[in-house]
Amino acid sequence: MTETFEAMLEELRRIVRKLEDGDTSLEESIAIYERGALLVKQCEDLLGTAEMKLTELGRDR
Amino acid sequence: MMLGGHSTSPERFGTPILAVSEVSGLICSLLDDACLHQIWVRGEVTNYRDHTSGHRYFSLVEGNGRDSALINCAMWRSYASELRFEPRDGMDVLAWGSVEVYEPQGRYQFIVREMHPAGLGERHLMVERWKQELDADGLFDPGRRRPLPAFPQRIGVVTSRTGAALQDILSVISRRYPAEVVLSPTAVQGEGAHIEITEAIRRIDGLVDVIIVGRGGGSFEDLFPFNHPDVVRAVAGCGTPVISAVGHEVDTALCDFAADLRAPTPSAAAERAVPERRQVLRELAGCAERMEALLRSRLAASQNEVEDLRGRMHPRRLARRINERMQRLAEHEELLRRAALSRVQRERAALAEIRAGLAGQNPLAVLDRGYCIVEADGNIARSVGDLEPGGRVALRMKDGRASAVVEEITYDRDL
Repeated sequence: MTETFEAMLEELRRIVRKLEDGDTSLEESIAIYERGALLVKQCEDLLGTAEMKLTELGRDR
Repeated sequence: MMLGGHSTSPERFGTPILAVSEVSGLICSLLDDACLHQIWVRGEVTNYRDHTSGHRYFSLVEGNGRDSALINCAMWRSYASELRFEPRDGMDVLAWGSVEVYEPQGRYQFIVREMHPAGLGERHLMVERWKQELDADGLFDPGRRRPLPAFPQRIGVVTSRTGAALQDILSVISRRYPAEVVLSPTAVQGEGAHIEITEAIRRIDGLVDVIIVGRGGGSFEDLFPFNHPDVVRAVAGCGTPVISAVGHEVDTALCDFAADLRAPTPSAAAERAVPERRQVLRELAGCAERMEALLRSRLAASQNEVEDLRGRMHPRRLARRINERMQRLAEHEELLRRAALSRVQRERAALAEIRAGLAGQNPLAVLDRGYCIVEADGNIARSVGDLEPGGRVALRMKDGRASAVVEEITYDRDL
């Protein structure tokens, strides 16, 4: 969960590109598809459940 | 060079007679002086006319009575549209422009490019000077602008805790994207506000992914701290990308030029700072769909490949090979069977031999050769010691038995 949303989305895009590339073996295609499906879910969960939060910096240095 | 000059130039009593255009040209060249160009002039507006064409014509006067001075002014439509106030006769103004000659009418005019009410004039001049200095230092170079992060987790806001700008930013972000907003509170107007803004920027730099610096709309005076070089330099020197959002669409402050992005309002800044949740969800759904379609087509392609290979394996050839193997297997089986059979026969022969050998060992076989066995009391008598004179013995011969009586016993001498 230390991964940032952007990193997850970037990995997802890479997976789609890799699936588009015909050189990937079937086994690998299935493996990265599963990884991709997990990422989609994680991203959706993150977006779906999180709420905006407000904090304030103190003025003291 | 001067050969023709004397005969063609008319003169009267030694003084050359000039054409009107020549005099006008001289005036033009005399007025074409740096000290009359791009200058600020302070004066009172008079004879102000807002022409239907959109151009403004007026005069600037100084003092009244005998020592008064007057300059005719024109402000063309494109510049007049930038006016932030409506000039009126009697208004003290500060005008920026150049003196130009209009030869067809033999008039010179002050062509005004920018004009402000003079009470603020001093401050406008100050901003103008700061702008030139900061620009000369390269702080407004568009090449310095950095891209904003696509998916910020934390958004810093440098503004007033109580202002409308903060509320606008919060409402936009909460609607669009689940990010954390970190407020670095500061006064946004008044004396010393620029020091607080500068501090607030430095305090939050590095703690967030992007910073919005700004405030809602207000007068030139209200927005003034955002022109201060300290604020501009803090924005330019910020390690975190900065969105500047000072006032409304029409307002600009110098910190806008130093920021990585200038937003027309705080709400617009918030919109630029975060992506929209629904749009991201749409992209995610698109990714999922695309992945599934790709995997399906990949599976279909693999299936086709297997079918193709199966076809290329030539079933007939395979059947023939299987047949060959079966045949050889059958041959081997026969060989094995034969081998097993001959072994049995060998074993049988060996057994017959042993049986023959055993037959030789049969004790009764000796009877055939004329020997006889003597039995006394049912036991075989091996020694004359087993007998006694007058005792009865049985004689067993090849073809029967006989009963006899022992007459005499003689031991061999050497026993």
